[in-house]
Amino acid sequence: MDLSQYLEMFIDETKEHLQNLNDQVLVLEAEPDNIDTINEIFRAAHSLKGMAGTMGFKRMQRLTHDMENVFSEIRNGKMGVTPDLVDVVFKCLDAIEEYLDCIINTSDEGENDNEEIIKTLNACLEGGSAAAPIETVSAEEATPAEVAAPAETAPADDDKRKFLHIDIADFEKNAISEAKAKNLNVYGVTVYIDENCILKAARAFLVFKGVEAVGEIIKSVPGVQDIEDEHFDFDFSMLIISEKNIDEIKKIIADVSEIKEVIIENYEIPADVEVVSSVQEKKEKKKDKDDGKKKSTPAKTNAKPVANRSVRVDIEKLDVLMNLVSELIIAKNGLVSASSSTLDENKASMQSFNEQIEYLERVTTNLHESVMKVRMVPIESVVSRFPRMIRDLSKKLGKEMELIMTGEETELDRTVIDEIGDPLMHMLRNSADHGLESTIDRLKLGKPQCGTIQLNAYQDGNNVTIEVIDDGAGIDVEKVKRSAIEKGHITEEQAEQLSEKEAIDLLFRPAFSTAEKISDVSGRGVGLDVVKNKIEGLGGDVEVSTKLGEGTKFTVRLPLTLAIIQALMVEVRDEKYAIPLNSIVTIEDIPVSDIKYVQQKEVINLRGTVIPIVRLDEVLDSEPREEEPENLVVVIVKKGDKQTGLVIDNLLGQQEIVIKPLGKYINIHKIISGATILGDGGVALIIDSNSLI
Amino acid sequence: MDENEILVESKQYIVVKLDAEQYGIDISYIDNIVRMERITRVPKAQSFFPGVINLRGEIIPVMSLRNRFGLADKETTNATRMIILKPENGAKIGILVDEVREVVTLDESNIEKTSSRDEQGFNLLGVGKYKDTLISLLNIQEIINELDNA
Repeated sequence: MDLSQYLEMFIDETKEHLQNLNDQVLVLEAEPDNIDTINEIFRAAHSLKGMAGTMGFKRMQRLTHDMENVFSEIRNGKMGVTPDLVDVVFKCLDAIEEYLDCIINTSDEGENDNEEIIKTLNACLEGGSAAAPIETVSAEEATPAEVAAPAETAPADDDKRKFLHIDIADFEKNAISEAKAKNLNVYGVTVYIDENCILKAARAFLVFKGVEAVGEIIKSVPGVQDIEDEHFDFDFSMLIISEKNIDEIKKIIADVSEIKEVIIENYEIPADVEVVSSVQEKKEKKKDKDDGKKKSTPAKTNAKPVANRSVRVDIEKLDVLMNLVSELIIAKNGLVSASSSTLDENKASMQSFNEQIEYLERVTTNLHESVMKVRMVPIESVVSRFPRMIRDLSKKLGKEMELIMTGEETELDRTVIDEIGDPLMHMLRNSADHGLESTIDRLKLGKPQCGTIQLNAYQDGNNVTIEVIDDGAGIDVEKVKRSAIEKGHITEEQAEQLSEKEAIDLLFRPAFSTAEKISDVSGRGVGLDVVKNKIEGLGGDVEVSTKLGEGTKFTVRLPLTLAIIQALMVEVRDEKYAIPLNSIVTIEDIPVSDIKYVQQKEVINLRGTVIPIVRLDEVLDSEPREEEPENLVVVIVKKGDKQTGLVIDNLLGQQEIVIKPLGKYINIHKIISGATILGDGGVALIIDSNSLI
Repeated sequence: MDENEILVESKQYIVVKLDAEQYGIDISYIDNIVRMERITRVPKAQSFFPGVINLRGEIIPVMSLRNRFGLADKETTNATRMIILKPENGAKIGILVDEVREVVTLDESNIEKTSSRDEQGFNLLGVGKYKDTLISLLNIQEIINELDNA
């Protein structure tokens, strides 16, 4: 069977289950007795196993199978949750993740058997259940024979004939009597499936199919639907009508592989006794059934887990939608420019024309917003793996720490979400390793023993801000400077002149680390510069503020979306350019005489701040101006807290622009970040002001 | 002769002119032929890229074939055309030519293979003989690959 078409689905779902497992095991670690959590873990492990089995990933299946066994024991109260067990389970999850990575990259699960983990799991299982009062249900038992018979095994044989307990309704009774009248045989059957069987629903299905070929099934317990959904333990019973004799039927059923035992007998309708005792028996049965149900379908009773209420949409389809909206905006801009050029038309038609434009504008704005929203993903999908990471780091580093997250529901564009995970992880690791002091130091300093790392996300206008705050030692600016001098990044004289801010910025230089010892958590000198590059690549920025002894705060600002932005349209000679509005601080009219020189560079003194200026016409290789005007129009742009003035010729106004790529053939200088289409059909290039600062 | 032509190994080419020389472009590469439009200059791009145009909402870089072949610029006339090429598995690109003449069908027997490169280092697919004229058949794929790798 070709499973490749399901591979993607498998990968997605496995990821979801893994995340869910990670979350739940974390909860379990905190509250080892939480039965809902145990059930949830069991269910997820079970689904994983089933999925891996279907896709033919044997190693993954085996591992998840053993994990499921362990939780099955826990669920049945035969084992307790110990910290050791939690560690093993986490290892197990990591191993599964490894398989998954392997599958993503090569469509194959790889060669790692993870024997060690399986052994430990089984050791837990044996250790746990040896102490428990009831017999083991280990998958590894060589002889699965009797041991695993349902727990309530009392007078063996009698109880195995579970079909005797089937409730039959009147019409079923009629069917049975009719069959008897026609000289057909009516049998009661109870089938026991091998406990090691993985696809018990499939086995049951084969039994049903075999029986239906030679007769008719009047009733089965549990019902067909439950059996298909694997909502049963290892046995099921049914009443069948057939012409064949008892041995033939038995053979048909026993021929299905992994069937442990078939009990079949001629069935008689329980006589009047039944009527008398029916009430009591029914009650009992109901109880039985309920017990069974509770055991096998925890998900059903314990409120279904809140699934991601989302539809997976191919990003390409969204892109198409986005392009349509873009065109609509372009059309609107066209209308706007057409209206301004037909000013001398009669006034009445002008007014309705304007009304139409306003209407169109409203529609496009709404459409834009809703399409944007479709592309938005809560940041939760990225940050949900961090609690687990911090837990592991805490163990590894021997520091007590906790992660407090807020604003996980904050949404960001899908393209941004995909990229933001690694930088955030770097920053959290950095805080955990460098930021927080060791537990002993904390106690000495009179701080709470347990360090706190906060991850806060919130929307702020057209930006999303993510803060990573720790209550650790803060950044020692002097230490940073010394380290920078040692590594030859700066000279001692330079170091003396550095402000605190500039010194901290040194941390973002490539290959810079102040950690005295290199651990495998962080401190290899790769990190903050990568973080910074990535975030700037997304059109955002990073800031650090710190207080020695009190902690450090990293602030990441990211744009909500990358596709449509507000921009200031400017003119340089006769060419139009767009400058993204979010980087603009002010627009100034500066007399040429106010330009001063510092180190042969032109600067202006704007209300006490010295700002370097860049002549866009020079940068853009425009034709030289014939004569210098008396006043220059300067657009002040910022990047972080640095500012630069861009000298332009003319201001055209603010406009919503759609960012388009320039195609791959043409060499693009870094000052050009893309292009946009104007209302008149022309093209304007977008200036990346960050590259000019 | 056209009527009796055997369809084996015959291809259609669009014949364009740069100065007096005729070049042939395999028709399968051609997406569109448009009149001269306003070209937006892209600062610091390669010298043979006058800029980009907006073709129905899509921004397409335009290359001047003249500049690419080392010919001097020529004023645009009414005959100047932009040929939009769409290579397989590639993005669109426009090329600027002085004039588009006609579509011709050439079969193998009418094409003389050349292995030599011309002075700009371009490998021609061959020289086609059509009626009494010669058509240099451009190796579009190579021109595009070269841009890709640049």
